Amino acid sequence: MAQEHPHQSAADNYFLAPGMWATVRNGLAFLALAGWIASIAGFATNREQFHFSYLTAFLFCVSIGLGALFFVLVQHLSGSACSVTVRRLEESIMRTLPFGVVLFGLVVTGIHYTYHWSHESAKTDAVLKQKLAYLNADWFTIRGVIVFGLWTIWALVLFRKSRAQDVDGAIAHTRNLVKWSAPGLLLLFITASVASFDWIMSLDPHWFSTMFGVYFLTGGGLGFIAVLILICLALRNAGYLNNAINEEHYHDLGKWLFCMTAFWGYIAFSQYMLIWYGNLPEEIFWFKNRLVGSWEGMAIFLVFGHFLIPFFALLPRASKRNFKVLTFFAVWLLVMHYADIYWQVMPVLHKNGISPHWLDLATLVALVSTFGLIFWAQLRERPLVPVGDPRLRQSLAFHNA
Amino acid sequence: MADLALDPRVELNPPLVTGGQTYADLTEKISSITEQPPPKQWYFGMAIAVPVALLLFGCLTYLVSTGIGVWGNNIPVGWGWDITNFVWWIGIGHAGTLISAILFLFRQKWRTSINRAAEAMTLFAVACAAIYPLFHTGRPWRAAYWLFPLPNEYLHIWQNFRSPLMWDVFAVSTYGTVSLLFWYVGLIPDLATLRDRAAGLRQKIFAIMSFGWRGSARQWKHYELAYLILAGISTPLVLSVHSIVSFDFATSVLPGWHTTIFPPYFVAGAIYSGFAMVVSLLVLARWIYGLQNLITLKHLDNMCKVMLATGMIVGFSYGTEYFIAWYSANPFEQFTFRNRAFGPYWWAYWTMITCNVLSPQLFWFKKMRQSLVGMFIISIFINIGMWFERFVIIVTSLHRDFLPSSWGYFRPTWVDIGTFTGTIGLFLTLFLLFLRFLPAIAIAEVKGVLHGQIQREKGDH
Repeated sequence: MAQEHPHQSAADNYFLAPGMWATVRNGLAFLALAGWIASIAGFATNREQFHFSYLTAFLFCVSIGLGALFFVLVQHLSGSACSVTVRRLEESIMRTLPFGVVLFGLVVTGIHYTYHWSHESAKTDAVLKQKLAYLNADWFTIRGVIVFGLWTIWALVLFRKSRAQDVDGAIAHTRNLVKWSAPGLLLLFITASVASFDWIMSLDPHWFSTMFGVYFLTGGGLGFIAVLILICLALRNAGYLNNAINEEHYHDLGKWLFCMTAFWGYIAFSQYMLIWYGNLPEEIFWFKNRLVGSWEGMAIFLVFGHFLIPFFALLPRASKRNFKVLTFFAVWLLVMHYADIYWQVMPVLHKNGISPHWLDLATLVALVSTFGLIFWAQLRERPLVPVGDPRLRQSLAFHNA
Repeated sequence: MADLALDPRVELNPPLVTGGQTYADLTEKISSITEQPPPKQWYFGMAIAVPVALLLFGCLTYLVSTGIGVWGNNIPVGWGWDITNFVWWIGIGHAGTLISAILFLFRQKWRTSINRAAEAMTLFAVACAAIYPLFHTGRPWRAAYWLFPLPNEYLHIWQNFRSPLMWDVFAVSTYGTVSLLFWYVGLIPDLATLRDRAAGLRQKIFAIMSFGWRGSARQWKHYELAYLILAGISTPLVLSVHSIVSFDFATSVLPGWHTTIFPPYFVAGAIYSGFAMVVSLLVLARWIYGLQNLITLKHLDNMCKVMLATGMIVGFSYGTEYFIAWYSANPFEQFTFRNRAFGPYWWAYWTMITCNVLSPQLFWFKKMRQSLVGMFIISIFINIGMWFERFVIIVTSLHRDFLPSSWGYFRPTWVDIGTFTGTIGLFLTLFLLFLRFLPAIAIAEVKGVLHGQIQREKGDH
């Protein structure tokens, strides 16, 4: 329960040292450059592989941005005090979403390679020809721009109002943010569903699952919490926010990591079990294709790695308060999140089993470092916590019961 | 904090107990309800609820002595009001568990004034729900052989563990057991309070019921830990029970039933209907017993927001189902959803949409979230809408199956209607008895909230 202890806080430096900021930026910029050069080489030599690898990395990064947007919205709506100190970092991850639309351009240029509803043969397919009014390159692009447009509006508004509060500390911003967050949450569910249907589900255009949007967003939420924990711990190692984000806050973040792991297990199990149980030819093939050859091993690995192992490992209180355990499982679950998307996307290209390609790594490095740079740019000469938030003091003094 | 017009500390942490109450006031206010003769509204309520509850027993007697042919169920609609009512009642129970368990883990202190009544409501709703699976077998004394893994070579009845109906039995009985434990553990300190105020036989009864609670620091320490563990155990139950109820439908291959979004969508719907029922009951209880200082407008405002949020999830799910029905390009899926909205049961479908999707939109306005009459009416609408949701899912998917020659139209019989109305009577009877004999608000927990509030005012930070 949040109790107030006036002696805490204040000791933290809320601004990154310019030198340290520049060093990290240079590192990220170098990685981005290397990643993009390699990716461009792959683009020129193996377009099909490039677009599949790129799509996987793109979905990985965007889903984490959406997870950030989700948690920022929920935080404003619930008015929770304990999580205020991590909110600026969340907002900075969310703030990467507006740039996604540029990177979406490369997905659009790859439509012909990745989405076979764009092929001539779709016009004669008894099922697909009925869907072409929806699944076509023009509408795919327009829908992508619209969903990114909406995420951009919300990301910018939420970020700006929060920044404005840094300066004047007015509670009016808090009220205003609540007003924006309620419709934002609704729109997020709708747009994330549309995005997941378009970007992943339509890779197998015959297939459909009403759960898919929830599944996508849940994975993103989990990936986001893992990223957030890692960023907080990295800043801690660099000597920042030792008081503002202390053991109590990590305990809470660990609970969220656990909670999202459990929720992902619930959603993934429900989707699989219902389709397996029904065993209808128009649905079951999606899982069947993902259980061919070594894909089956990967599916079983996901059951353990994405759910069972982290579930039991994160259950005890002690592991959520242990930074080493927390770091390990945050990294682990990020890898699992990537593996989950990989398992959804890649069997369309490599039908007979897992076939790792250097482009998988190259595109991942390129996109993660690009998104990382955008994130890092938000932290330059800006406070790392929302210093004007009226609940900040409660958050600083927060204790788990 | 630059905004001086309104003290942000008050706005961000609004008082959850108003009227300058002391600890003694709280004890007196809540305990006296059980100690004094009930107000005339209570008698009025019982005068309606008890006869209606008796109707239930009449209908069930008739059912058992005649056979389930007295219900309207028939091929092609083999599941009618029985399972509609079962799902509706189970769903209503979910608000209690959400408030007591999940809101506890999320540190939502406003739950303290409403959790006791909501948990009691959960138990009564589960009791009403349990009637349907038991009696739809027609021979409830043999139902145990279907439902529980009992040796039964003699009867040649075998449980099908691969059936979600079987999983339901385990899910619901676990849910009922944990909810009862949670509710009762919460009651123990308050029962001891009642014991300490009572004399004679009443004191003896409460002494037994409170398990000799003395309120020592040691006891409180264990109590709080037990409470936390029970909250942790209850949390997955909020998801599991209605997910498994949704599996009853979704594991089939019937268009309109077989869809993957069912588990979370059913859970959201359950919480939605549960909160609607809590609001309906608490608005009345608050008025009858003058609990305005304990169940404040802030509490009701929050509950309206939960209804808005879960109502939107339900609406989102309806939309997703329609979109995917079109997107699937499966003619059977498409027919089922067209038939739902424009077929013979169009009236049920549009009642559902009006009540579940349109009516909660009024909660976007603060005025509606603060209007007792307004929220009471909307909560009744939502209760109706959620009943129709189950009716629409069950009956419209069944009544026109794959063979047009066997299409039909389900009509309830008077026994269907009587049984359903009867369970509402039973539910209200149990709830009124609860209000009469047990502390309807968690005294000890509200005192904890009041303590924090007083500390804040004293310390002025």
